[in-house]
Amino acid sequence: MTAASRQMKLGAFLWATGHHIAAWRHPKAYVTAGIDIDHYIQLARTAEAAKFDMVFCEDAAGLREANVAIASQTSRSIGFEPISLLSALAVQTSRIGLVSTASTSYNEPYGLARTFLSLDHLSGGRAGWNLVTSASPIEAANFGSTGLRPHADRYERAREFAEVVTGLWRGNPDGAPGHDGQSFSVRDPLDLPRSPQGAPVLVQAGASDVGRDLAARTADVVFTAAQTFEEAKAFYDDLKGRLAAYGREPDDIKIMPGVAPVVAETAAQAQEKYEELQELIPDDVGVALLSSYLSIADLWRYPIDGPLPELPPSEGMQSRQALVIEQSRRDNLSIRQLARHFAGARGHWRIVGTAAEIADELQARFEGGAADGFNVMPSFFPGELDAFATLVVPELQRRGLFRKDYEGRTLRDHLGLKRPM
Amino acid sequence: MENGAIMHLAVSPLPGTSEPSPGAEPDFSLLARFVQRAEAAGLDMVIFADSAPASGSDAATMPFEATTLVAALATVTSRIGLVAAASTVAHQPYNLARRFASLDIISHGRAGWNATMAQAPREAANFSRSEGFSGDDFRRRSEEYIGIVQGLWQGWDEDALKFDKSSGRFHDPEKMHLLDHKGEFFSVRGPLNVARSPQDRPVLVLSGLSAADMDIAARTADVVLLDSEPIESAKARNDDLKRRVAACGRDADAVKVLVNVSPVIDDKMAVTADRLEDMFRGKGCDGFNMLMPAELSALDDFVGLVLPALRRRGLFRESYRRTNLRSHLGIAGGGDR
Repeated sequence: MTAASRQMKLGAFLWATGHHIAAWRHPKAYVTAGIDIDHYIQLARTAEAAKFDMVFCEDAAGLREANVAIASQTSRSIGFEPISLLSALAVQTSRIGLVSTASTSYNEPYGLARTFLSLDHLSGGRAGWNLVTSASPIEAANFGSTGLRPHADRYERAREFAEVVTGLWRGNPDGAPGHDGQSFSVRDPLDLPRSPQGAPVLVQAGASDVGRDLAARTADVVFTAAQTFEEAKAFYDDLKGRLAAYGREPDDIKIMPGVAPVVAETAAQAQEKYEELQELIPDDVGVALLSSYLSIADLWRYPIDGPLPELPPSEGMQSRQALVIEQSRRDNLSIRQLARHFAGARGHWRIVGTAAEIADELQARFEGGAADGFNVMPSFFPGELDAFATLVVPELQRRGLFRKDYEGRTLRDHLGLKRPM
Repeated sequence: MENGAIMHLAVSPLPGTSEPSPGAEPDFSLLARFVQRAEAAGLDMVIFADSAPASGSDAATMPFEATTLVAALATVTSRIGLVAAASTVAHQPYNLARRFASLDIISHGRAGWNATMAQAPREAANFSRSEGFSGDDFRRRSEEYIGIVQGLWQGWDEDALKFDKSSGRFHDPEKMHLLDHKGEFFSVRGPLNVARSPQDRPVLVLSGLSAADMDIAARTADVVLLDSEPIESAKARNDDLKRRVAACGRDADAVKVLVNVSPVIDDKMAVTADRLEDMFRGKGCDGFNMLMPAELSALDDFVGLVLPALRRRGLFRESYRRTNLRSHLGIAGGGDR
């Protein structure tokens, strides 16, 4: 694809009642999202009508928050298991890609490869797997583990896991893959036909150094969090620069940072909408969310109007933690301010404004070499996905930055990815 | 109807026998039509096998993994029960419980899990356990596994979700329960991150039972699938199982025994109806699981020729009375904690 015709990729990140922590309390939020399949079918159709590349689902094998008093004030303790959810959406949509997160920590590669390949067949080649490793002790307690694996260990397991999965998807002309490795052994090839798109798309989200190497080695798409243009650009250049070592071209991987837009007809309306959401965040919920991102349990002990304390390095999400700390020092934020700020967008890039203003920002990162596209994280559903689809997407299309219709059938087609041998 | 007893009917489309479709791609729409026709006929449920490993033979298998297939089918049907086989070797119990809890919500209370007590010979080798399990270990592990899954399915009370925007209370913390299971093979804290089932909990269909597994079935199963036997021995087996069910403190009718039947193509369908009637009236079972190719013609023969005969004889209901699978089967839920 030439530079002139290069167009951005868009994901619609579906999550519970919305990405804003207080989304479910918004008067227009659909509060029973977690138990209503028709709601999700409608969201997927909205995203498909707007020509999004994919819908994207996160996942965790456990509650998000150990403190039940906090958890019970959010809508995130219950929801659909994403592979069953996307399988249902597969036959209720016809073009849009369907990407789900699944952890390498608590699955086996044979079963995961088989399940995603089945989703790929149900959807006619529109499936993708977002590889994550699990850092949460809440998840660990559901799988017979008492402690977390050290970060490097988790990634070594993930590397072997990804190698087995991609091997199974691509098949082996000699029959059995016969993998016998450090963490996994597999004897037989998969018992399903080859993927309609060659292999499901592999997405990855880890942004630490080992995470980036794993992405450079295996991923088709990288989902990341970047607050500023400089952060986004540095990540983009670093990751694309790692590809050559694995015999890959820069265009073989699509980098899609998360973006949490709040859009309205006028800037004042957008700001009002944003503040309305922020007002709905209880302080204890905001602080709890922030402490879970920082992997420290006792953030609430510190004065809420004081600065973030000095923190030891953690075995949890290293890259995200660095992002939060950097932000708080840069803007001189108190714990309360930081908590509210992060509660809204979970460390992702927040833009509040009109369609033209949001399109300007996206265009600058896209054309400035800091992104190949964006994973859009609406504040609440269905309203904010509708708003992005009806206001921002047409603006991007007018500027020639986004497709007016699908050209291909598969997710690899949409993303402009090579079909694997 | 004798004693108000009603026959329960399931159909199991057999892997590897689907009609060849025009393209080489697996055909979801054929399976969708098959299930929709079974629904139009009022059958209790469709049971999908999930033959994981290539067994060394060249037999083709169902082109979809069963839980993903059932999720998709749930959106194109509205009444019929949808049961997927899923292996206790291939999944961790927490993940399996979540998948089925989610299927149950997607289907509005029509999902079931078919667990088998028989170890698939080559499966463990694809799941990093080349040594497999001894028969005893597999049995104890399976029972522990089933207990975890059923426990997780009841982690949220029916009325736990409040959705109260103004007070900011999404759910009632008192109505969410940890499992805190610590056993020989697994330790699972819980709770599940999926809401309570619309039918209280998904239906557990147990198959692959040996004589040594009957007490496990009596304690845990909602439905058991057993191979066909002559009426006398089938009745003795059925009576024995129901006695064990009662001995566990459960209602003897809480477990439905379905006998696997392969309709013989050359048989006159009236003969099939007679065979089913004799076995049912002879108290050999509560109903049947019809094994047939995943072909519309096979289903049409059964629906068009056997079902009307069963209905004329008052053995099978005319239509669904309610919408969830437990109500089709006439079994109550597990109750709140």
